[in-house]
Amino acid sequence: MAQTIVTTGRGGAGKSTFVALISRYLKPPSLLIELDPDLSLADMLGLDFHKEKKRTVLEALYDVVEGRRRGANISTTTHELMESLLWSDCLYEGRKFDLITLGTKLTEGCLCAPDELLRKTIPKLAKNYTNVVVDSPAGVEHLNRNIVSNINDLFVICDLSKKSLEHIPRIKKIIEAVGIKYSHFYLVANYEFDEEGEKYLRNTGEIYLGKIDYDARVEQYNLEGKSLLDLPEDSPASLSAKRIFKKARLV
Amino acid sequence: MGRVIVSTGRGGAGKSTFVALASKYFNPPKLLIDFDPDESLANMLGIDLSEKGEKTISGALYDIVEENKGAGRTGYDLLSSVLESAIKSDCLYRDAEFDLIALGTKFSIGCYCAPDAVLKDFIPTVVKDYEEVIVDSPAGLEHFNRKVVVDIDDLFVLLDPSEKSIKHIERVKDITKEVRVNYGHLYLIGNYRFTKETEEYLRSTGEAYLGKIDYDPAVKRYNLQGKSLLELPEDSPAALSVKRILVKAGYKIGVGT
Repeated sequence: MAQTIVTTGRGGAGKSTFVALISRYLKPPSLLIELDPDLSLADMLGLDFHKEKKRTVLEALYDVVEGRRRGANISTTTHELMESLLWSDCLYEGRKFDLITLGTKLTEGCLCAPDELLRKTIPKLAKNYTNVVVDSPAGVEHLNRNIVSNINDLFVICDLSKKSLEHIPRIKKIIEAVGIKYSHFYLVANYEFDEEGEKYLRNTGEIYLGKIDYDARVEQYNLEGKSLLDLPEDSPASLSAKRIFKKARLV
Repeated sequence: MGRVIVSTGRGGAGKSTFVALASKYFNPPKLLIDFDPDESLANMLGIDLSEKGEKTISGALYDIVEENKGAGRTGYDLLSSVLESAIKSDCLYRDAEFDLIALGTKFSIGCYCAPDAVLKDFIPTVVKDYEEVIVDSPAGLEHFNRKVVVDIDDLFVLLDPSEKSIKHIERVKDITKEVRVNYGHLYLIGNYRFTKETEEYLRSTGEAYLGKIDYDPAVKRYNLQGKSLLELPEDSPAALSVKRILVKAGYKIGVGT
């Protein structure tokens, strides 16, 4: 059974950046799952899903639902069909890691259906990997939806604001109410923190693992759409991610 | 009929900061709506809703559902009959400067479809009572798919300097078109991290770019200390740049504000 790692945090805190930076330190075979409809993880890893002839979960789901509406004779349930499509159409298989991405929904309605599909399928997918890393969308709704209910390591990525500090007890309360289980709850600071800001995190009573160091190249790569995997090994951001990951005993 | 203003953008782009800074320039009577379950707008305005005795939509909904359960009643129809008055009496914070409603965090399992639907139904019933209604969206795109606000006058898209941000503009346009969310204007605003050079990316999108919010160390400090952004000095670079942006969008900002 895989180690299940989940990142969460307020918008813009650096969840996807963190996942992209640690992806090179994951012991293969590893699966990355992008739950953000505003896709950013694939971008950050320099992956163009369409060029790879892969589909997002929402694209596959849309075709199944549309097909049914047009009267396609499909004997299996949407859920069963989608489970097999996840493997055949949505799973990008790379040398370092595999990747599944939720994708953007262009039709009316919430993301409850695809989220529910992933909620049920993630434990099955996990059987084939050493690590499953889930990159969550900004905010708290994914926790209320209980998408990943058994987590080994939950990384909360924090930005430098009071809201961020208030976010920590808030998500703990949601997690408890919803019944999500986790083994470790870790705080990680983003590059905005200075020593004084870090003190706030040390005083929360939670396990604080350190901060992602500022790295001008990360901003530059993100702007140019270049893969963060191309960052040199000795880049400050990459090194600090490795250090944090080591502290969590995951390297 | 009030003007409906919506701010949207990727996480951390500065949606709530923009709304908080802009709130003092909008025309009264005005209603601010915080749609983010990870509430931040009220914080930024220095308001503690529970301290003021106000409930969030999620909180009020939970109480009504629990009360109904206790009395053996079920069904949304029953809910909607009591909801509108419940929101007005329990969730609407009234201040000399503005009114405020927050979606709030839910401490039970399940999505935010129900509280979102409640607000979706509620907004059209109060638009006529205000000169301006300003909606601060949660990060990301799902709020558009949910069609929480269908008829928008001015849609402000807050951006951070990244390729993802540029792609985000296209996604917003695609989704709003597909699900038929109407807007009068779509405006782009850069956050403080843009430089003259990176602003060019926004100018070349073909959309109406209104300018960037200037860097202001006080904003960061206030946010960390939980101080209201309304207390920023008049000459704060962030506040002045927001004022400039609103004037560009055609807002008439009263003398003395």
